Amino acid sequence: MTEKYLAQPDLDFIAQVRGLGGETLKKCYQCATCSVACPIAPEDSPFPRKEMIAASWGLKDKLICSGDIWLCHECGDCSDLCPRGAAPGDVLSAIRFVAITEYARPKALANAVNDPKKLPFLLGIPAIWFAIFAFITMNAGETMTKIFEFIPFFDWAHVHEGGHVIAQANFFSTWFVDLTFVPIFTAAVIIFVLNLKNFLNDIHENAVLEGKTDKTSLDFKAMLQALIKVIPTILKHDKFNECESNKDRSTPHMMVLFSFIGLFIVTAIFFLVLYLFQTPGPYSQLNPVKWLANISGVALVIGSGMMIKNRLDKKDDQITLYKDWFILVLVFSLGATGLLTEMARLAHMAYVSYFFYYLHLIAIFNLFAFLPFSKMAHFVYRTAAMTYAEYSNRT
Amino acid sequence: MDKKYGVYICTGCGIGDTLDMEDLVDVPDEEGINCTTHPFLCSKEGVELIQKDIDDEKVNAMAICACSRRVNFDVFTFDGCIIERVNLREGVVWPHSRETYPRLEEDQKDDEEHFDPIQMKAEDYIKMGMIRIQKVNLPEPYKTESFSKKILVLGGGVTGMAAALDAAKVGYDVTIVEKTDKLGGYAANMRSQMPVAEPFEELRAPVVNDLISEIESFSNIDVKTSTEVARIAGQPGEFTVTFKKPGEKIPFDVPFPLPEEMLVDEDGKDLTVEDAHAKYLEFNKGREDILQLDPDGELYGAVVLAAGWRPAVLEGEEYAHLGVDLPDVVTNDEFEKIAAKGKIVRPSDGKEAKSVVFIQSPGKDEDDADFEYCGSVTSMVALKQAKYVRGDYSDGKAYILYQHMRTPGLQEYFYKSMQQDDGIFMTKGAVTEVAQQGNGLAVTATNTLLGENLAIKADMVVVAGGMVPVTADDPVINLAYRQGPGFRDNDIFGQYADSNYICFPYETQRTGIYAAGAVRRAMTIEESMEDATGAALKAIQCIESANRGMAVHPRSGDMTYPEFFFQRCTQCKRCTVECPFGALDDDEKGTPMANPTRCRRCGTCMGACPERIISFADYTIDSIGSQVKAIGVPSEDDYDEPPLRFLAFICENDAFPALDMVGMNKMDYSPNVRFIPVRCLGSFNVIWIKDALAQGMDGVILIGCKHGDDYQCHFMKGSELAETRVKKIGDALSSLALEEERVAFVEVAIDEYDKLPEIINTFVEEVEDLGPNPFKGF
Repeated sequence: MTEKYLAQPDLDFIAQVRGLGGETLKKCYQCATCSVACPIAPEDSPFPRKEMIAASWGLKDKLICSGDIWLCHECGDCSDLCPRGAAPGDVLSAIRFVAITEYARPKALANAVNDPKKLPFLLGIPAIWFAIFAFITMNAGETMTKIFEFIPFFDWAHVHEGGHVIAQANFFSTWFVDLTFVPIFTAAVIIFVLNLKNFLNDIHENAVLEGKTDKTSLDFKAMLQALIKVIPTILKHDKFNECESNKDRSTPHMMVLFSFIGLFIVTAIFFLVLYLFQTPGPYSQLNPVKWLANISGVALVIGSGMMIKNRLDKKDDQITLYKDWFILVLVFSLGATGLLTEMARLAHMAYVSYFFYYLHLIAIFNLFAFLPFSKMAHFVYRTAAMTYAEYSNRT
Repeated sequence: MDKKYGVYICTGCGIGDTLDMEDLVDVPDEEGINCTTHPFLCSKEGVELIQKDIDDEKVNAMAICACSRRVNFDVFTFDGCIIERVNLREGVVWPHSRETYPRLEEDQKDDEEHFDPIQMKAEDYIKMGMIRIQKVNLPEPYKTESFSKKILVLGGGVTGMAAALDAAKVGYDVTIVEKTDKLGGYAANMRSQMPVAEPFEELRAPVVNDLISEIESFSNIDVKTSTEVARIAGQPGEFTVTFKKPGEKIPFDVPFPLPEEMLVDEDGKDLTVEDAHAKYLEFNKGREDILQLDPDGELYGAVVLAAGWRPAVLEGEEYAHLGVDLPDVVTNDEFEKIAAKGKIVRPSDGKEAKSVVFIQSPGKDEDDADFEYCGSVTSMVALKQAKYVRGDYSDGKAYILYQHMRTPGLQEYFYKSMQQDDGIFMTKGAVTEVAQQGNGLAVTATNTLLGENLAIKADMVVVAGGMVPVTADDPVINLAYRQGPGFRDNDIFGQYADSNYICFPYETQRTGIYAAGAVRRAMTIEESMEDATGAALKAIQCIESANRGMAVHPRSGDMTYPEFFFQRCTQCKRCTVECPFGALDDDEKGTPMANPTRCRRCGTCMGACPERIISFADYTIDSIGSQVKAIGVPSEDDYDEPPLRFLAFICENDAFPALDMVGMNKMDYSPNVRFIPVRCLGSFNVIWIKDALAQGMDGVILIGCKHGDDYQCHFMKGSELAETRVKKIGDALSSLALEEERVAFVEVAIDEYDKLPEIINTFVEEVEDLGPNPFKGF
């Protein structure tokens, strides 16, 4: 017999899940049609039946520590077949979001990211920040050049020689870009690492408690091997493709994922090129890295555009809330402003290009700074949960 | 009645094609009875043909040899005539085809080797039909000496009030007897009742006050509060009722039969009849005999029993694990009383009870039964009371741990709405322990939807006690009947006032007493009120049937009743004792008294009587016995290898329809069995077995309804009594060197028709293995 579990229903949690699209959490009568319908639920203690009763009981402690909620890809097969009109897919999605905010530190930031009323601040702060530095770049070039003369190896101006090229660095110094984003990105990574440690411990403990694992301790080396096994599954969207109801969501999701990977590679290469070889942009359109950048940018816009369109078309099927719109619009804006910046530059419209670049920077800021707190965090938690499932032979 | 006989044979529906009509017509012809054949007897022309013979005074007792008596009964109805339906279609030509039993060739006839079993069966059936019309008479309706159409309602709760209103609205005078000082019953003390209208989400105030004021507006409803029924004597249509104040002792208090332990002396020997009677008189000293009618009693036609229920007491070892002795563990009844007073607070310290666990089943993990006397109502009460908790406290939490959550009909909406409430938590599970933990309670459950081992902290625990029918504790109806004042065989019905739960709602074991509400089964207010309508209608039906000398139920319209040939009565009292409905009383000598309007006409008394002095106008020992004797039993004088001959007594309630279905489905079985339908196997008299065996028949089988836990007997005890009689006859058979196996008793449900051919064939084969009856041909 397993250990005694003290049920402590949390009425606030129930209200929270309802507010995040899990309105139907109390409709379940435990027939388990959902668990049978789910194409990706494991055979042993399958989800989402048990998650539904736990949710209707408001058992927050049990749910946000559950790895299973992350194995769900919200394909919606369960919601389609539910005889009581409950939508387990949406309930799990809401619970996942509660889990993201629950693991996020600092809490205040997490709450701000998910509060539509705070949106003006989320956009305003980077807007002011970048405006100040754009002003410095454009008006205090000489002063900065002088300051940089004291630093060996580095030049202030990461600008091509010759005056006719439009370079964003003329508008906003690459130094300021990187001095902004490198710390933010690092902070996000640190937050993720800390969260992940808690997260993995929690889902392991929960799996042991509920008998969902054959492991008694966490072996990080074996976990790493599991991660290597899981990565192709994620890249190929194997799990996602097992779904029936929302099959059309798989392709745009894949496009967005690959474009992020592409853009990450491009950014990393150009970062190295800039600082190691002192070769500033803009780079030639013939450069293969630039090809990758353009393809990724286009894929990002199309992928996220399709996602937005799907959401708009199927309003009734899948609940779309602020948390979803925030990330979708952000990703779309990221791609769109990037491409527009480049197009305006190639069209020799310097100030138009600078304007889009400014917007682009705000979008990047939002993406990086709020990564651990927004829905985007799912890429970390789901990967981790899938890795743990692989590690603990939960298939 | 000067009988003029006639036989009509229909040749339609395959009868004429299968049977040799000339030979068939010879059967009545040999008896000198006019026989007419018609190709389509149930057609207008066919019926007119019979009617013309009746009008011409050629016939008034006829055997109509066509289809089963269960079809076309409305077509073959001729007033003032004795009618026997000979079942040639479902009973002969449909189950037995010429493919299986080929027609005899000319040279095979009379060769003492070949015989035609289908033709033999048809001829036997015609002979049996002809003898029956000679032996039975047309019934004369029985009229009571006095007659009342008033309805007495026992119980002034919701059910009683609703029944009284329903009866009063159609013009009947009603008296409500309520032992407390006001109307309303349990519902008057409730905080709320379950939703009764769309959208079935909101509780409502109990309906009690509406009913009370409606009752006041009816002049034909007489309300007697602080009153009890001392006794109800007589029979439907003329019940003489004596009222008294609660607790009062009066001469017309009903006498009780001696308890069994008082029927034996100190050595454990049975008392003699005289001693027992003396002891009985001593036991009931100061009380008038049941046959003594109260001159001041009031006359009623029928009674609605709406005496209701009491909350179950949950105590002792059986419920110790639920902490029933802890102050904050209460029953649903106690919880309702707390709720009626105001906000839900704990009995121990008056603290707000914001976390309440409702326990629906006590079984640990050993079985999943609910508490005794529970039903869907207990599930719904838990939902209702959970709503109290949520209504009283916005942060309140109500947990319902159930093995069964039953919300029939539209109450499903109530369940759904409660499920939607954020503070209601439900799971199936087995509660293993309730224990005090600090200032609160700890409830543990296993096998829940949330996992193996669940713990919940609670301020208060509510256990779902059942609604015990008052008939479990007390006779309630206080009938001045020889069998005793209450329902005698109540253990069959779990102490509820009932007689056949599935088929006959409202009918109790006493004709003229119709139960409604929680005395019949645990039910909600809404259900009780609907039930009250049913019982009121039954009471009216009873009064109107009794007034015309007809049976109410289940042989509705039957005008026969038991008649006694008293010269031969030995006063053995077997009929009085065995009547499942307490219809018979006996005087101090033991002579039975019929009370025809109490009777359900099952014939159990006729089957019981060792002197065979009880009969009905159209159903007698002789009428059946003569049918048995009319069956041809071929012997070695007739054929080299004569077919064995079997007799089946088949209960006409379920088993006979099942046999008809066998015919309709053209399923074959041994054609060597002759079936005689009986009113109930309870009416089966062992003399018929002797008749059959003495005549050389090889085996007798009794086919009746199920009894015991899964009982389906329409007369409660009939098939059980028949089985006992068959067991007893076994000894008699062996003393005659006959094997016990020649007489069998089987039970069959109406939907088990497909098993019937096998049951019959198995019996036939078993007897065939024993060989022919050694008395054959004597």
